[in-house]
Amino acid sequence: MNSILFMILRRLRRPLILIIVSFAIATLGLTLMPGTDDQGNTWYMSIFQAFYVISYTATTIGFGEVPFAYSQAQRLWMTFSIYFTVIPWFYAVGKIITLLQDVSLRQTITAERLARNVRNLQEPFFILCSYGQSASLLASILDEKNMRVVIVEQKQERLNELELADTKNSILSLCADAKLPENLIRAGIYNPYCSGVVTLTDDDEVNLAVAVSAKLLKPNLRVIARAERGDIAANMESFGTDHIINPYTLFGDQLAMRVHALGTYILHQWLTGVPGDTLPPPENPPRGNWLVCGYGRFGKSVVENLERENLSTTIIEAMPDLTECERCVVGSGTEANTLIEAGIQDACGIVAGTDNDINNLSIVMTAKELKPNLFLIIRKNNRHNSALFKKFGADITMQPTDIIAHECLAHMLTPLLAEFLALVRNQNNQWANNLISQLVDVVGETVPETWAVNIDSNCAVAVSEYIDSGMIVRLKDLMLDPSNREKELKLVPLLLLRNGQSKLVPELDSVVVNGDRILFCGTYDAKSALAASLNNIKTFNYMMNGLEIPDSLVWRWIKNMTTQ
Amino acid sequence: MNLEKVIFGFFIVLAMTLNFGFFLGDIDNISHHHVYELYAAIIVSLIATVLKFGDRTQVGAILLSTSLAADLQLITAAILWAALHGEMESASLMVYIVSLSGGALMANFVSVILLISETISQRR
Repeated sequence: MNSILFMILRRLRRPLILIIVSFAIATLGLTLMPGTDDQGNTWYMSIFQAFYVISYTATTIGFGEVPFAYSQAQRLWMTFSIYFTVIPWFYAVGKIITLLQDVSLRQTITAERLARNVRNLQEPFFILCSYGQSASLLASILDEKNMRVVIVEQKQERLNELELADTKNSILSLCADAKLPENLIRAGIYNPYCSGVVTLTDDDEVNLAVAVSAKLLKPNLRVIARAERGDIAANMESFGTDHIINPYTLFGDQLAMRVHALGTYILHQWLTGVPGDTLPPPENPPRGNWLVCGYGRFGKSVVENLERENLSTTIIEAMPDLTECERCVVGSGTEANTLIEAGIQDACGIVAGTDNDINNLSIVMTAKELKPNLFLIIRKNNRHNSALFKKFGADITMQPTDIIAHECLAHMLTPLLAEFLALVRNQNNQWANNLISQLVDVVGETVPETWAVNIDSNCAVAVSEYIDSGMIVRLKDLMLDPSNREKELKLVPLLLLRNGQSKLVPELDSVVVNGDRILFCGTYDAKSALAASLNNIKTFNYMMNGLEIPDSLVWRWIKNMTTQ
Repeated sequence: MNLEKVIFGFFIVLAMTLNFGFFLGDIDNISHHHVYELYAAIIVSLIATVLKFGDRTQVGAILLSTSLAADLQLITAAILWAALHGEMESASLMVYIVSLSGGALMANFVSVILLISETISQRR
C-alpha cells in the first residue's frame, strides 16, 4: 500500500504545486485590494479571510461576498482569481480521476490487496496456478471442504467466472502470470500456512516453470503438476515435483480400473468426492471384445490399460498414419458401416474416446442403434456439454478434467490418502467391495471426511502423554465417543503408518505408539470429536478407563478423602 | 547543472530563509514579525513538501518528513493567528506564534543540512 501512496503522490506533484501557487497568488492579491466596510471605512481582508474566500471560489462552491459587499478593486481581483484558480483545480481533479482509472495502478492496487489478504491468512491454503476446467472443479471441492485456495490465473475472463461462482469462503485470486516467481511470492508461497502449489494449465511449459520455481523458492513445499510430455515430466521429477499428473495415462488407468475393478474405482472416487455427494452407482462393465474409437493419446492409454486387463480390443481410427496405428479399422466410427466392419455384433462394449464431444455422442448413438445392449463408455471433453451427456445417459461418462481434479484432491487432502489409494490398487476387487460395505455401515452413503492424525506431542497431546507414562493405548480406544464411552465414533481407520511401514485397514486391537500416523475416514462430527479428545487429557482419561478426573484442587482433595 | 535540482534546492533553502526571517526579532513584539512573511514561509514550505514527494531513497524519506514537520508547525501558527487575533493580548499570542515558527525553523534547518550533506557525498 505504501508504494501505491507514493506513486500517486509523485504523479500528482505538478497539479498540487499548481494549486498551491495559484491559491497563494490569489489569496495574497485579495488581501491587498482595498474594500469598504459597512461604516464606509477602508478595510483590507486578513490573510485568513482571503484564503477562506478563495477556497470556496476555487472549488466552485461560491458563498458570495462576505463579510461586506466588495469594492470594484476586490471584484476585479476576484474575477481574475476565479479563472486563475478554478482551472488548476479542475486540472488536479481530472488528474486524480485519470490516475484512479489507470490500468497499471489498478493492477498494482489489486495485487497489493491480494498480498495483504494472503499475509492475513491464518489457515492452511493451496495455490492453484490457472483456473481452467479441472482447477475450477478442484477449487470448488476444496472450498466445500473448507480449505482455502489462492488462484493465480492470467485470463481475466476466467476470474470473472470465479467471482460469479457461489463459494462458501472467499477465494482469493490474482490476475497474473504464474510463470513469474514474483507472482508466486505475491500469492503467498512464503506464507508458513501455504501447504502446496498445484499447476494444471494445459501448457506443459508453464506447468514446468511453475513447478521448478515453486520447488526452488520453497524446497519442502508439496507441488502437484500436470504434464503431458514425457521429457517435461522427467524434468519436473528431477526438480523433486511431488506428484506429476498425465491426463492421458490417468484417464486410461481409471477407465481400466473401472472396467475390471469397480470396487477399487468406487472407493477411489468416493474418498476424493465432494462432501455431500453420495456413493456413485455401480455399473459393472462386461468382459469381452471392446471397440475403441480414436487412437490418440487417450485412446492409446485406454487400449494399453484394457489389454493389461486381458481384454481384447478393436481400434477404430480415422487417421491411422498420424497416430501410428498398425492394426485398426479406418474410419471415424460415426458411420454404421465402420462399426459393422469392426465387428460390433461380437463386441461387448464401446469406448468413444475422441477429443470431439459431438463425434463421441454420434459414435455411441450409432452403436446403440446397431446393438442396443452394448455397454457404452463415453469421454466428455467440455464441461459445458454436460446437458447433452446427461440427456443421452451412457453407461459410463468419463471426463478427464474430473479425473484430474479427483486425483489432485487425493494428494492434497493428506499425503496418507494418496498412499492409501495407491495400496488399494494392489488389492483385489473383492477386498475393495468389502471395505466399501464396511465404510457404508459406519458413515453412510454420503462422501465421508478423510484425515490423518499424527500421534505425537503436538497433534495428540493426551495420547502421547498416556503412552509415555507406560500405558497401552489400542486403536479402538481412540475411537470411543468422548461423551459416552459405551458408544463408538463414526469413523474407520484406513491406514497406519509406522517407521515407513504402512498397514492397510489396521486391526482395532493394534497398539498405538508414539510417531504413528493414522488415516481415518468418517463423518464430520467424528472428525471434530476425535481432534478434541486426543488433545484433552481429561477427556482421554475418561475414554480410557471411564473415570472423571476432578478439575480443581479442592475436589481432588475431597475425592482423595472419600476414596480413603 | 540540472534545472530540476536548482529549483529543488532553491525552494528548500527559501523555505528556511523565509522561516528564519519571520522568526528573527523580539519574540513578543508584533511589529517585528510580519504576517506576509509567515504567509510566504507557509506557501514555500508547502511547495518544498510537494517537490519532495515520490523520492524513495532513505534521504528522500527524511527530507519529506522534515518538511511535513515544518508545515505542521507553520500551519498551526497561522491557525492560531487567524483564530485568536484580536481576542487575546497580542504580546502573548505573538509568543506562541513565533515559538512555533522557531520549531519549524529547526525542521527546515535539518532539511537544508541533509540537502548539503547529500550534495557533498555525491562524488561527481
